[in-house]
Amino acid sequence: MKEIPEQPLSRMPDNTAMKQQKLPAHHLRFSAKLVLSIFFGTGAFCLCMGVILILSAKKTKKVEINYTKICANCAEFRENAYNFDKECTCSIPFYLPQKMEGNVYMYYKLYGFYQNLYRYIQSRSNNQLTGEDVRDVENCAPFKVSRDGTPIAPCGAIANSMFNDTIILSYKLNSSVHIRVPMLKNGLTWWTDKYVKFQNPSFNDLPSKFAGSTKPPNWPKPVYELDKSNPDNNGFLNDDFIVWMRTAAFPTFKKLYRRLYRIHHFIQGLPAGNYSFNISYNFPVTRFQGEKAVVLSIPTWCGSGGFFLGIAYTVTGALTWLASFVLMAFHLTWKRKKKEVLQERSQASSRKAENTSGQ
Amino acid sequence: MFCYRKKPPEVERIVKANDREYNEKFQYAVVWSGTVRELKNPVELKHSEDNRIHTSKYNIITFLPINLFEQFQRVANAYFLFLLILQLIPEISSLTWFTTIVPLVLVITMTAGKDATDDYFRHKSDNQVNNRQSEVLIDGKLQNEKWMNVKVGDIIKLENNQFVAADLLLLSSSEPHGLCYIETAELDGETNLKVRHALSVTSELGADISRLAKFDGTVVCEAPNNKLDKFTGVLSWKDSKHSLNNQKIILRGCVLRNTGWCFGMVIFAGPDTKLMQNSGKTKFKRTSIDRLMNTLVLWIFGFLVCLGIILAIGNSIWENQVGGQFRTSLFRNEEKKNFVFSGFLTFWSYIIVLNTVVPISLYVSMEVIRLGHSYFINWDRKMYYSGKAAPAEARTTTLNEELGQIEYVFSDKTGTLTQNIMTFKKCSINGRIYGEEYGDPVQKKEITKKKEPVDFSEKSQAERSLQFFDHSLMESIKSGDPKVHEFFRVLALCHTVMSEEDSSVRNPEGQIKLYSKGADTILFERLHPSSKDLLSLTSDHLSDFAGEGLRTLAIAYKDLDDKYFKEWHKMLEVASAAAHERDDQISQLYEEIERDLMLLGATAVEDKLQEGVIDTIASLSLANIKIWVLTGDKQETAINIGYACNMLTEDMNDVFVVAGNTVGEVREELRKAKESLPGQNHSILNAHAACGKEQQLEMASVGEEDTAPGDYALVINGHSLAHALESDVKSDLLELACLCKTVICCRVTPLQKAQVVELVKKHRNAVTLAIGDGANDVSMIKSAHIGVGISGQEGLQAVLASDYSFAQFRYLQRLLLVHGRWSYFRMCKFLRYFLYKNFAFTLVHFWYGFFCGFSAQTVYDQWFITLFNIVYTSLPVLAMGIFDQDVSDQNSMDCPQLYEPGQLNLLFNKHKFFICMAHGIYTSLALFFIPYGAFYSAAGEDGQHVADYQSFAVTMATSLVFVVSAQIALDTSYWTVINHVFIWGSIATYFCILFTTHSSDIFGMFPNQFPFVGNVWHSLTQKCVWLVILLTTVASVMPVVAFRFLKVDLYPTLTDQIRQRQKAQKKAKPVRRQRPQTRRSSSRRSGYAFAHQEGYGELITSGKNMRAKTPPPTSGLEKPLYNSTSWLENLCKKTTDTLSSFSQEKTVKL
Repeated sequence: MKEIPEQPLSRMPDNTAMKQQKLPAHHLRFSAKLVLSIFFGTGAFCLCMGVILILSAKKTKKVEINYTKICANCAEFRENAYNFDKECTCSIPFYLPQKMEGNVYMYYKLYGFYQNLYRYIQSRSNNQLTGEDVRDVENCAPFKVSRDGTPIAPCGAIANSMFNDTIILSYKLNSSVHIRVPMLKNGLTWWTDKYVKFQNPSFNDLPSKFAGSTKPPNWPKPVYELDKSNPDNNGFLNDDFIVWMRTAAFPTFKKLYRRLYRIHHFIQGLPAGNYSFNISYNFPVTRFQGEKAVVLSIPTWCGSGGFFLGIAYTVTGALTWLASFVLMAFHLTWKRKKKEVLQERSQASSRKAENTSGQ
Repeated sequence: MFCYRKKPPEVERIVKANDREYNEKFQYAVVWSGTVRELKNPVELKHSEDNRIHTSKYNIITFLPINLFEQFQRVANAYFLFLLILQLIPEISSLTWFTTIVPLVLVITMTAGKDATDDYFRHKSDNQVNNRQSEVLIDGKLQNEKWMNVKVGDIIKLENNQFVAADLLLLSSSEPHGLCYIETAELDGETNLKVRHALSVTSELGADISRLAKFDGTVVCEAPNNKLDKFTGVLSWKDSKHSLNNQKIILRGCVLRNTGWCFGMVIFAGPDTKLMQNSGKTKFKRTSIDRLMNTLVLWIFGFLVCLGIILAIGNSIWENQVGGQFRTSLFRNEEKKNFVFSGFLTFWSYIIVLNTVVPISLYVSMEVIRLGHSYFINWDRKMYYSGKAAPAEARTTTLNEELGQIEYVFSDKTGTLTQNIMTFKKCSINGRIYGEEYGDPVQKKEITKKKEPVDFSEKSQAERSLQFFDHSLMESIKSGDPKVHEFFRVLALCHTVMSEEDSSVRNPEGQIKLYSKGADTILFERLHPSSKDLLSLTSDHLSDFAGEGLRTLAIAYKDLDDKYFKEWHKMLEVASAAAHERDDQISQLYEEIERDLMLLGATAVEDKLQEGVIDTIASLSLANIKIWVLTGDKQETAINIGYACNMLTEDMNDVFVVAGNTVGEVREELRKAKESLPGQNHSILNAHAACGKEQQLEMASVGEEDTAPGDYALVINGHSLAHALESDVKSDLLELACLCKTVICCRVTPLQKAQVVELVKKHRNAVTLAIGDGANDVSMIKSAHIGVGISGQEGLQAVLASDYSFAQFRYLQRLLLVHGRWSYFRMCKFLRYFLYKNFAFTLVHFWYGFFCGFSAQTVYDQWFITLFNIVYTSLPVLAMGIFDQDVSDQNSMDCPQLYEPGQLNLLFNKHKFFICMAHGIYTSLALFFIPYGAFYSAAGEDGQHVADYQSFAVTMATSLVFVVSAQIALDTSYWTVINHVFIWGSIATYFCILFTTHSSDIFGMFPNQFPFVGNVWHSLTQKCVWLVILLTTVASVMPVVAFRFLKVDLYPTLTDQIRQRQKAQKKAKPVRRQRPQTRRSSSRRSGYAFAHQEGYGELITSGKNMRAKTPPPTSGLEKPLYNSTSWLENLCKKTTDTLSSFSQEKTVKL
C-alpha cells in the first residue's frame, strides 16, 4: 500500500474509449418514420406471403381416407390376440375426380399415437442401429432382451411398435382391369438416415450377422427379412423401418409410405378415375382409441402443410397493418397535441421569466 | 467445531517473560480459535501456539472438499445439486445428466478457480509473513528466528524500519527514556509517526542481553481484542507493579521508525494480535435488487411448482383416459400403472425440465456485470484526483446498481465537504481579537492583494503556507505580552489545533503549569470564576468567529502548586495501576485537576470548501437526493456551512433549530416546527407521499408539490438528537426531517451518525449513502447501504471501511448520476431481459406437455438446453448489461432528474417482473403454436418428414435463438462493436454448434449422445421451416416494437426526451457547447454573496412550478407530459449557466 508520490501520473486510468465508456456506438432509436415503414413493410410482406401460401395450399391435391371405421371388422379381428398371425385385408374404393399431376406421395397417418412420449423416444439404441454392435441394447428398456435373454434387434419400444400395414393402391383402368399403381419403396428417407444413422452390420449374409439376437416381440419376422428382394432395403436399411424410427413430434402424424413410380399410365401422375386401397390390416389402433388413414398428396414448393401457415401469415400481415394504422393515428394526433402544449408551455415560461426579471 | 479442545473464553492473559514452558500452559492461540469470528471451516481452527498466522482457508488436500462444501451452501448451487440428484432417479429423469451438470460444473469451477487463486495469494503472503526473520532472545542469546516460531513471552529485538512481529510490550530502546517511534499505516492508515514510551524500570535494561535474558516480569493484561487504541495491563517485576497502557505497546503491523533498535516482550502472538483480530470480515451488504431477486426467485419457484402440479394432474388424467391403454399396447410387458403415482413422478420430471426458468447463470452474470461496472468506476479519469494521484476505487463489487437508487446522502462536513486543510485565521487573546476583521468577505481578495502578509519567517520553523494579515499580533509577540506568549505556548504544546488536550509543563522557573485546550462548551465550564469577564468577551468573539464559519478552540491554563501536583501525580500512578475501573478513576482525577482554569483566549481556523461542492449538492438535490449533513461542529459553524453550500438559502421559509436539552423540550420544539409547516393537518399523509416510495414518477412530482409548499430546513443539535433518537420522539423527528429540504445535525458523535442513518434506513425504507473521511465516520459508513470514503487528510480508516472511495466530494455526483444511474439501468435491463428470455425458453415445454401425454418430453435437443443459457445467449445480454447507455454521461450529469427512476424503483420491480413474465409467456406461445400449426401433419417439399420430433426441435430452437437475439437487439440501446460481435457471434455460434452436433463425424463417435445427425441439413433446407422461423420471429417481436414505440411516442420519459435531443444534436453537427468550461472565470462573488442572492431552492421550485402549472392535457390520457423539450432545455441550461457562473476559488469559511 505504498503510495508513490513521485509518479503521480502512474495511477491515472488509461484514456481508452473502452475504459472511459466512450466506445463509438450506434444509438438504437426508433423514429416514427422508421417504425411505421417497418410495420408497413412487414405487413405487406406477410400479407403477400399469406396469399401466396393460401393459393398454393389450395392448389394442393390431396386424398385422405380414414380406414379405421371402414375396416372395423379387421380392427376387431386384430383386437383378439389369438389372431396375431392371421391375415385380414380390407379394400377401400374411392374416386379421384381430378388427376393428380406430379410426384404423388403416399402416406399413412396415425391419430392418437404418442410417438413423442419421453420413455418411448428414449427406447432405442442408436449404436445398434449403426450396425456396430447388434447386441448393444442399452437404453432400450423395456424391449432390451427377449424372455430367454437374447438381445432384441432392433431393440426398443419404437422399433417394436413399427407400423406394419401393407397398403396397395390399384387403379381401375376399365370396368374389368385393375392394375396395381407402381410405387417405389426407396427414397423415402433422409440421406443421413440411410447412409449414416442406419447401417447393417454387413452388406450381405445378414442372418448370420444378426445371429445371437432376436426379433422384436411384435414383429412377425426378423429384421433381416423386411425386404429380402433388395439388400439395400433390408435389415436396418429398410426405408419403412427408418421412416418409423424418425419419431413424430405430435400424436397425430403422417409418415411417408410409398412414392409413385411415374411410368406408363402414371407418367404424369395419377389420372382421374376409380382407385382402391387394398390394405392388409396388421397395425392395431383401436386398442388405444387411435385411428389411421392413408393419404395421397403432391407437395408444393413449401411442402404440404395445409392452410395454417398461409392463414397465419395473412393474419399477421393484417394485424401488422392494422397496428401500423393505429400507430400512425396515435402519432399524428399526439404530435398535434404536443405542439399545442409546447406552445402553451413556452408562453407560460416566458411569462414566468418576465415575472422573475421584474422582481 | 470438532477438532479443537473447547476452553472457556480468555478473560485475562498472564504472560511471563522468557518462560516458554510457563506460558505454554495457557495455550493462548487455541483459546483464540474458540472465539474465532468466522467459523467457516475447521481448518482455521488449527492448533497453533506461536506467532504463525493463517489467513488462508485451504490447503491442497482440503481445498476440494471444503470449497465444494462452501459452494453448495449457496442456495442456487444446492438447488442445482438437488436437481442433479433428481435426474439420477431413472423414473424421474427427464433430461440427460449433462444438461444440469455442464452449467453447474462451469459455475463451480469458475468460483473454485477464483477461490483457489485468492487462497494461493493468501498462502503466499502468509508464508512470506510467517517466514520473516526476527531476533529473539533464546537461552540468553539473540537468535534469528522465523516469525512463526516466536512465542508469547519471548523478548525480541527490533531494528529500525522493521515490521513488528507481534504485539509487544516495549521494554527498552536506543532512544533516551525508552522512547521509540512507530508508523501505524497498516493498522489505521495514518502515516504520521507515533511515540511509544517504555516504562522507566525496563528502559534501564537497555541493550544488555544478559539482563534482558534474566528479565522475568509477569504481565497480567486484557484478553486479546481488536481495540487498537486501548490496552490495560499490569507488569509485576521485582515485587513492584507497573501499570501498562497503550503507550507502552507496539502492535503487530507497525513499522519501527527513527529508532535504532528496541526490545519488546511478546504479549499477543499470531492470530491474537490486534491486527489479526481486526481483520474480520465486514458485514456483507446486499442491494435492494438482490433482495427483490430473492423474492422473485421464490415466486418463480412457486410458479414452477404450480406448473408442475398442473402438468402432474394432466398426466394423471391422461394416464387414466388415454395413456393407460396406449402404454400397455406400446410396452406390452408392462402392467398398468397407478395414474396418481405416475402424476407424482411427472411432477418431479417437470421440475427438472422447467428448472431453466431460474438459470444458474443468472447469479454469475449479475456478478460479472457488477464487476464490470466496478472496473468502470476504477477506470474513470473524471473521478481521478491528480492532486493526490488518487483514482476512484470501487472497493466492493457487489453494490453498484444500488448507487442508482440513493435517496438520502449523509455527509460528514470536515474533510468531506471541506478540504480539511486548516488555516489559522484569527485569535482572541485575553479579550483582544487579532486577525483582520472582514465585514464583507467580498473585499477580502482586494485586501489580500494590497496587504503584505505578516512575515513569520523570522521564526525559523514557520510554515511557509501560513498567511496572517494582522501585524498587531506580531507586535504583541515582540512586545512580550505574557498572555500572548502563554497563548502560543499552549498552541505549541498541544500541537494540533483539533481536539481537547491537556498537558502539564514545568517551566524554567520551576512553576508547574497546566495547559488546556478544547471546545469552548467544555472548557468554559471549568474556568475559574475570576475569568468571568474575559469569558463573556471571549465567548462573544467565539460566536463571531463561528458566525464567519471558522472553527474555534478555547485555550486556558492553570498554575499548579508543586506539592498539590506531586500528590495528584501519585494518585494518578496508583489509579493507573489499579486493576478495576481504572478508566473511571483516572478520569475522575483529571476532572479534579482541570478545575479553575484561567482563560487565555481562543483560536479560529478556516477550512475551505472543496472544489465543486456547491455544484454537486445543487445537482444532487435536483436529482431528488436528500442530503443530510452530520457534523461534529458547532451549530453556528454548521449553519454557516449550510449557507455556504447552498443547502440553506435566504429563500427558505423557515429554518427550524432544535436545541432542546430534555426529551420534553425536544418534543415540544419538533411539534412546534411541524405545526408551523403549512397544511400539516394532514401531515401523515403528506409525509408518506414525500418520503414513501411512490410507484409512479408522476405521483412523485405531484407529491412534492403538496408536501413542500415552501422550503424548510432543520438544524438539530447533538444533545437534542440524543433525546430525539429515543423512543417515541423518533417518528416526529423523522417526519419533520423528511419534510425539510435540508437537514443538518451538528455536534453529533460517531455513534449518533450511525443511529441517524439507521433511523432513516429502517423507517423510510430508503436507500442511504454515507460519505465521510475520518475515523468518526466509520460507523456511519458501515451502517449505510453504501459507504463512501474520501481519501483525505484524516487517515484511511474511512476508506478502509467504505464500499467506494475517491478523493473529492464532487466525484459523488459522477458516481451517483453517471455510474450509479447506468449500473441501475443496465442491471434492470439485464434482469428484465434475462427473465423474459428464460420464460420464453422454458415455457414451451409446458405447452408441449399437452401434446406429448405430459411425459416430460423436452421440446429441444438436450445439447441446446445445456448450451442455451451459457453459450447462445449469455454474451449479448452481458454486453448489454455492461456497456449499455441510454443517455450519455454528460447528459446524465446535466439533467439530474434522470436519476429519479432509480429512486422510485421504476425500472425493475414486481410490476415489471410480471410484464417480463407475460412477455415471456407470449413469446413461448408464439414459439410453440406457430410451428405446431404449421407442422401439424405436414410433410416437406420433398415429401419427406418435417413434422418429426427432431425437425420440430431444431425449428423451435432456431426460432428461439432468432427471437431472443432480435429482442436483445431491440433492447440494446447502445450498439458498440462488442455488442455487434456478441449478438452476431452468438447466432453464428449457434449455427456452428448446431452443424457440429448434427454432423456425422460426431455421431460416429457418440451415437447415443448426438442422435440429431443430419437434421440441420434436412430441416434448414426446407423453405417451410424458414417460413415458420420468420413468422415466429415477426409475431414475437413486432408487438414489442409497437408497444415500445407507442410508449416513447405518447408518454416519453425524461430519458426518452433526452435521447431524442441527443440524437438531434448529433445530427445537427454544430452543437452548442455543453456546459461551458468557463468556470474559472473571475467571478468574484463569494459564497455568501451568492447564497444570499440566488439559490437553487428558487430554481427547483421554479422548475416544479413550471411542471405543475401546466394545464393537464385535455384528452382522456391524463398524465403529465414531459414532452416539451423547451422547459427541459431551459432547466438544463439554467442549471449549467448558474453553476458555471460560480467562482471556483470561492472560499467559504468554516
